[in-house]
Amino acid sequence: MAERPEDLNLPNAVITRIIKEALPDGVNISKEARSAISRAASVFVLYATSCANNFAMKGKRKTLNASDVLSAMEEMEFQRFITPLKEALEAYRREQKGKKEASEQKKKDKDKKTDSEEQDRSRDEDNDEDEERIEEEQNEEDEVDN
Amino acid sequence: MEMVAAPAGSGAPREEEGPGGEAAAALPQAPTSGPGARLSRLPLARVKALVKADPDVMLAEQEAIFILEQAAELFVETIARDAYCCAQQGKRKTLQRRDLDDAIEAVDEFAFLEGTLD
Repeated sequence: MAERPEDLNLPNAVITRIIKEALPDGVNISKEARSAISRAASVFVLYATSCANNFAMKGKRKTLNASDVLSAMEEMEFQRFITPLKEALEAYRREQKGKKEASEQKKKDKDKKTDSEEQDRSRDEDNDEDEERIEEEQNEEDEVDN
Repeated sequence: MEMVAAPAGSGAPREEEGPGGEAAAALPQAPTSGPGARLSRLPLARVKALVKADPDVMLAEQEAIFILEQAAELFVETIARDAYCCAQQGKRKTLQRRDLDDAIEAVDEFAFLEGTLD
């Protein structure tokens, strides 16, 4: 489903919060100004994307990556963003790594548990081996043949 | 602007580039909660929608989406502050639309916005 440019806006509440936190206490913002900043932010993302994509294409890559975006910032003369962005990226990578390790550990634990359950079952029911196997295949993803 | 849905979600091969390669490009459900999202105020799904709106962009790593979101936040802060300087000159405590227009005209980096906000 194609999206119109007008639909590609960012949530007003969040935009407002970011603005308010950037400004001194007691400063207000009119609805029109806030709405214009929100649109400007969307345009910024679109422009940065296009710029970043040029870098990806230059590198003969089809996938936009973080360093393409950083290069785009340089190109767009937002060099002052680069250091904070690099820091955010480091923090993001640490989080992602932690999350991945946690879910891999969970999967290992789950597989161990499943394997030992399966060995118990096939010992008990030799008669219904075929049926069992079908059932196993349906239930288990990485089934190892017994 | 012509909108072409990027093929990313429709069985396109997963790109392996970069350290964030594991989460590449099929642009799966962007994290709107959980790790990574803690650092983001703007929903990554919306940023992703903007990226996908570009017909030339095929695939984007989750990291790229995240960095774009962070850059957008920095941009909002920057333009708000620059616009406020203009309001201060008018000795007002409320930012108006014209302050924004003045900032766009005054600051070179905002030149790309000219004509886009009307």
